[in-house]
Amino acid sequence: MITLLNTTAEYAWALPCFNVLAFILSIFLHRYITKKTIVISLGAIGLSFVWFMLILIDFISGGMDTILVDFDWIRIGDWVITWGFSVDRISIVMLGLITLVSLLVQAYSVEYMSGDSGISWYFGLQSFFVAAMLLLVIADNLLLLYFAWELVGLGSYLLIGFWYDRSSAAEAAKKAFITTRIGDVGLLIGIILLFKATGTFHISSIIHAATNGGIGEGTILLSSLLLFIGAMGKSAQFPLHVWLPDAMEGPTPVSALIHAATMVAAGVYLVSRMMPLFELVPAVLIVISSIGLFTFVFAGSIAMVMTDIKRILAYSTISHLGLMILVLGFGGVAAGLLHLVVHGISKALLFLGAGSVMHGMEEETRCEKMGGLLRKMPFTGVTFLIGALSLSGIVPLSGFFSKDEILVAILGAEVNEYWKITFLIATLGGVLLSSLYMARLYFLVFTGEARSEQADNAHESSLLITGPLVILALIAVLFGALVFPVPLWDGYAGFGDLIHQGHHLHFVIWLTFISLFLAIAGFALGWLMYGNEKISKMWFSKKIPWVYRLLCQKYYVDEVYQWAINRIVLPFARMVAQFDRVIINDTGIDGSGMSVIFSAVKIRVIQTGRLYNYGLGMALGGLLLIIVWWWL
Amino acid sequence: MVNFFPESPLLILILLPALSGVVLWAIPSEKKNWIRWFAILISSIVLVLSVGIFVVFDSEVGGIQFQSSYNWLDMPGSWGDGSGAFALSLGVDGIAVMMVLLTGIVMFTGTIVSWTIETDSKDFFVLYFLLLSGVFGVFVSLDLFFFFFFYELSVLPMYILIGKWGSSSVFPRFSRSKEYSAMKLTLVLVGGSVLIWITILGIYAQSGVGTFNILEIQKVVEENFSREFQIIFFLFLMIGFGILAGLWPFHTWSPDGHVAAPTAVSMVHAGVLMKLGAFGLIRIGMELLPEGAAFWMPLLIGIGMVNVLYGAMSAMGQTDLKYVIGYSSVSHMGYVLMGIGTLHILGLNGAVLQMFSHGIMTALFFSVVGIIYERTHTRDSLILSGLAKKMGVTAALFTVAGLTSLGLPGLSGFVSELLVFIGIFQSYGIWGIVLGSLAVLGAALTAIYILRLIAKVFFGPIDPAWDDQKDSGYRERFATGILVFVILLVGLWPFPFIEVIESGVAPIIVNIQGLSS
Repeated sequence: MITLLNTTAEYAWALPCFNVLAFILSIFLHRYITKKTIVISLGAIGLSFVWFMLILIDFISGGMDTILVDFDWIRIGDWVITWGFSVDRISIVMLGLITLVSLLVQAYSVEYMSGDSGISWYFGLQSFFVAAMLLLVIADNLLLLYFAWELVGLGSYLLIGFWYDRSSAAEAAKKAFITTRIGDVGLLIGIILLFKATGTFHISSIIHAATNGGIGEGTILLSSLLLFIGAMGKSAQFPLHVWLPDAMEGPTPVSALIHAATMVAAGVYLVSRMMPLFELVPAVLIVISSIGLFTFVFAGSIAMVMTDIKRILAYSTISHLGLMILVLGFGGVAAGLLHLVVHGISKALLFLGAGSVMHGMEEETRCEKMGGLLRKMPFTGVTFLIGALSLSGIVPLSGFFSKDEILVAILGAEVNEYWKITFLIATLGGVLLSSLYMARLYFLVFTGEARSEQADNAHESSLLITGPLVILALIAVLFGALVFPVPLWDGYAGFGDLIHQGHHLHFVIWLTFISLFLAIAGFALGWLMYGNEKISKMWFSKKIPWVYRLLCQKYYVDEVYQWAINRIVLPFARMVAQFDRVIINDTGIDGSGMSVIFSAVKIRVIQTGRLYNYGLGMALGGLLLIIVWWWL
Repeated sequence: MVNFFPESPLLILILLPALSGVVLWAIPSEKKNWIRWFAILISSIVLVLSVGIFVVFDSEVGGIQFQSSYNWLDMPGSWGDGSGAFALSLGVDGIAVMMVLLTGIVMFTGTIVSWTIETDSKDFFVLYFLLLSGVFGVFVSLDLFFFFFFYELSVLPMYILIGKWGSSSVFPRFSRSKEYSAMKLTLVLVGGSVLIWITILGIYAQSGVGTFNILEIQKVVEENFSREFQIIFFLFLMIGFGILAGLWPFHTWSPDGHVAAPTAVSMVHAGVLMKLGAFGLIRIGMELLPEGAAFWMPLLIGIGMVNVLYGAMSAMGQTDLKYVIGYSSVSHMGYVLMGIGTLHILGLNGAVLQMFSHGIMTALFFSVVGIIYERTHTRDSLILSGLAKKMGVTAALFTVAGLTSLGLPGLSGFVSELLVFIGIFQSYGIWGIVLGSLAVLGAALTAIYILRLIAKVFFGPIDPAWDDQKDSGYRERFATGILVFVILLVGLWPFPFIEVIESGVAPIIVNIQGLSS
């Protein structure tokens, strides 16, 4: 459904423009107005948030129809490559999340980054990132989406490497860019394949063609798999997840914005957006849900043993992204997007909370140096607890609703019963794990005795830092209500209806009880182990040490990659370089030159300068000619 | 046409750089700044002219514009009446316009970068301008004889420029002297031009029109050039021009040449000179031997693929900054060859845009490496580290060039590579999909070696040895800023460029596709 209203929603493209402008200004003006560039960035994102509100109102009053604006980018003969922006049910949700979280994160950064000499570069990059991210979700067109997708990656690269003079940050930035880039190879090939099949990059046209049999089955299978590889890279799914934990080298607000709430959700967003295509190929859906499930449990188990506060959160992010991908594999777009938003808010809250802890602890990130911080940092502690409970899925926080909807979506999917039950049980196991490590993190950091001098001297952060925490915590508490058709505005019939008209999220009571029980049990177990230490937290590492070691080494995935790079890729590259120099150049090129010189030296011998030698030559030549002439 | 625009701008493009040498010789050698400012004056006039040609060129009309002809030699004989057999016929189509613009930009920025040349700067600029005069001549000639004349003119000054102002490199296990690199470059390229010259003579003889004029010969292609003739001689051209375009396995002159050459010459060399090969292949090969082109293109696209992947892997195995960029040129010229090989309008458009984009990008690369080398006196990525701390702008410039080469959207490389990719996917059925996928993979390989290099050289803790380095100065920032501007312009708003290219590419594709149907 395409309507053209003369409204703000048509000007959704202005959203990224504000932020791009802020980026450009802060790049060129930073020397003259160092501190004021912060105001520019904040103003841009604030304006974007207001603009989003206007778009939202417009969108709803327009009956939530897709709004589309299109123009030509490249035109070659009959080939037209257009760029288009659209606001639809999915992108409006994403826009809300992005503008809200980035507004809060940027406000938080004002205080958090205040001592840094590169602060205007930081805010400029934030604006750049937000612009690219907004562009990504309003792109109506796979090519424009790819365009923004890569720019988002660049923003992430530069922000991870913000402290570029630390080699760990430089390494992490490089790793993030290269790993996601490998996924993007798949994405780009998939996009071009779809273009080859349909002659357009328009998402709606491609989906229309695909669902009406306009694209061959093989092409759909191949291209949807390739698109998913792109999503795996960005959304850090196994085995392309390795970059995300390392990305924690960036400033903490960056982790909150990019590596928890927005960029990493892009893969989930892409799959949701292209869902009608994926639904045509059940085999790919099975791949998607399997990889999602594996990542969910795999990353959750690593989060159990990490000791760095940011890394625990990073693995938790990977795990929850796996959960979203998992449900998308069952076609649960509404549930997946709900969890995307809920997780985005809760995880941003947790990361910002972690930043506040680090701020009060002289940038310490090791949990074993913390403990008992609740008394010293009450705001941070309480809001952190809310975030942790929400992600654990405990009623009535928003995470409870989204997790439940995911389970219901799996239960309701029309697939093989055994397959479904296996997934349901494994997911419930993951839920238990999820609340267990969240409890572990919370109790290790905020309760018990202070385990270091810094923890003893920790202090609560200022209002500019706790303010965003409180706001996010409030949203994390209240957002769950939106699942229901609350009388927010006319025509709002719950989150499910917002994504798919007429689709309603509901509960299955027995499943709710099981999942809630598991979540509470996990958190309680965490309390027993790490809170009042009734159960020794060491028993696991003592009982099965090899599993513990395996987890601590993150299943050796990084080592495998490192081995492959050091032992295969780089030696192969050096071999090619060597081959080029020795074989192609020294033998092939120089060799042919040498052979000319060599034969010249050899042939030179017959130029003796003696008349009788030449005479003999002439005589023999003459004889040869006569014989040839005779023969013919 | 605008009034103040000169009547025959193309002739000025050729003559002005060549003749400025006379004036340069008159300036006393001690007046270094006079020489520099005069050189900058000449190249800014040329820049203005080439931008002017780009702007005035009417892509709606298309075809060949700014035509003019100056008779040089009549040749009475068996073919025709012989009048005007050799004539300096000038004119540009959409493809040549882009190349002229590229040359203008690279020449100007190269001149500014060459400010720091101290020894015999006068001779340097004379030869540098002579070289560029030849390059312009190739792009604007419509006459095979002069095409070849200028082609040679643009190769030979290289020999002296590298041999005298270049630098030798010594590695633990081997060394490359500048004399060796200069000699190899010249011999290999002259070797290639033998094949070209044979083909040109063959075309002249076979056409029977008694002139070297490309437009005249084009009229008789269908009746006089048999399929076998075209197939045999297109192979000659493919190798001859391919050598200059860095075609595997005849590419080794190029990385060694890049490395040995002084900064400005590296810029012209990788930025413009390698494009002469691809340009010749399009101008002579595809226009005059269309059936031969259609026959050999599957091979060309295959070798282009080898170029892309092999070049990228070789670049990954290098440690010297200039060698990395040299091999990345081999890799990126592979995209040009592949784009030409698609015989598809999008692919060929992409190939020409890639020629332009790669020219600008690699000029930026070499000028930044020049900035680093002038300060640190090394190009060894194993020694350099953490330079961004002291040379922030330089690091940013290198990063922009790097991101362009890995095909980041918003920068020129993305548009051209995207068009090439789409072109490959659209041609050769299932093989197109395989080759296209490998081509996309090549862009990811680029990401690996470029990002590794950036992380190693610019990021991380700074080595105390480089603690007192100064960042790039205003002169260097001005020159590189122009290149960055063009990269962004093409990346974000490619339409005006593509419009011009298409007006040149479309007739070629229509012609070749007309043959097969």
